[in-house]
Amino acid sequence: MSQSIDIHTLAGAYALDAVTEIERAGFARHLSECDACTLEVAELTETAARLATVTRATPPARLRQAVLAEVGRTRQASAGPSHRAASRRAGTGGMTWPRRVLGAVAAAVVLLAGVGAVLVQQRRLDVAEQQAQALQEAQAEMGRVLAAGDAELHSTSVGGGTMTVAVSPRLGAGVVLVDSLPAPPDGMVYQVWRIADGEPTSIGVFAEGQRSGTVPMDTLGDADTIGVTREPPGGSSTPTMPIVAAVELA
Amino acid sequence: MGGGSDPQWGDASVPPVVEPSADELLRRVARGDEDAFRALYDLVAPRVYGLARRVVRDPAQAEEVAQEALVEVWRTAPRYDSSKGSASAWVLTIAHRRAVDRVRAAQAGADRERRVAAASVDTPYDDVVEGVTASLEQQQVRRCLQGLTDLQREAITLAYYDGYSYREVAEKLETALPTIKSRLRDGLIRLRDCLGVAVGFATGAGR
Repeated sequence: MSQSIDIHTLAGAYALDAVTEIERAGFARHLSECDACTLEVAELTETAARLATVTRATPPARLRQAVLAEVGRTRQASAGPSHRAASRRAGTGGMTWPRRVLGAVAAAVVLLAGVGAVLVQQRRLDVAEQQAQALQEAQAEMGRVLAAGDAELHSTSVGGGTMTVAVSPRLGAGVVLVDSLPAPPDGMVYQVWRIADGEPTSIGVFAEGQRSGTVPMDTLGDADTIGVTREPPGGSSTPTMPIVAAVELA
Repeated sequence: MGGGSDPQWGDASVPPVVEPSADELLRRVARGDEDAFRALYDLVAPRVYGLARRVVRDPAQAEEVAQEALVEVWRTAPRYDSSKGSASAWVLTIAHRRAVDRVRAAQAGADRERRVAAASVDTPYDDVVEGVTASLEQQQVRRCLQGLTDLQREAITLAYYDGYSYREVAEKLETALPTIKSRLRDGLIRLRDCLGVAVGFATGAGR
């Protein structure tokens, strides 16, 4: 699959921090599922760090004082997330998922990371943490649907972007993943609809300028189609035609 | 440090001649040991600050970046996983990322060009603090950089020392994106082999 080749050659750029934040998050996620890449990236990161040997410089003494003072009043983080992530991976029995599903999950995860980047605009530190949290929540929903065992994936492409819908008939739940839709006309936003026998129900409205996002569906009902339309900011009560993208669940 | 009679780790448990390893110090820092952090600071701060200075250029901002990075080292030390790489690489990765984030956040094209133009004038290289080991390391890195192809070296330099994204690197070097991605990767692989970098994955601690 072309994406895995593409993502693999990103190892050098990633180790040098020469990627965007979205790529960084996506690649980091990819790493957690690819042991060979993990080793290569670890070595390349180690190598990159050696480059800092030649730029050594004596810092001003006040830096030491400032750092030590701040350290004195800064609480350390718990050892948490990586361990939690590991047990979560182990717990969902990922190895048994069909390859097609895993591929879609990887793609979804990459775009979820992007969504986090779009939605969160605070200090970097918070961004990283909130992104991780948003990702975890979206993944949890994704994981729940996929772990149901009867997960179905439906996908369509829309002018360079994609919309993927994962549903579990057994759970009667699903997730809609929208990635890189074309920029909507000024003053319009994307709205996602669940359609059952021609009867639309709004399940999510994007922010202005937002072109990627994820919409969980707790209830599937009798939905046969998921559709996306362009609407005024805040969304509409009924969809404005034409439908930009539609995925049939049948 | 300069003036004081300060070297905190020099007096008690650590023999003065042998440098305490960053790995050992970071393990202690992970348990909340502030003394170990002071020692770690003295060991890595010149590289952290120098790197920030090189990437960010502006001395005041470089200081801020170094401070943020070093405090982050303290804060997240409990999450450091030694099976994934050395302590100093971990610290420098944090510092580099912070520096790059800072540069990109502040980035407007013209501003960036000025910054780079001013670079050669005021990048401080300080060989005094380093001792023999450090200067040998420097020589080795320089030699290995010379062993790269021109394109590999230029691409890696722009990415690492100047903080450009690979897309920007491709533009600056007027080279196709996939080529730049590959050059960054095979350049680093060649550097890795030249420097003899290895990461010990064999110890299955916690994995």
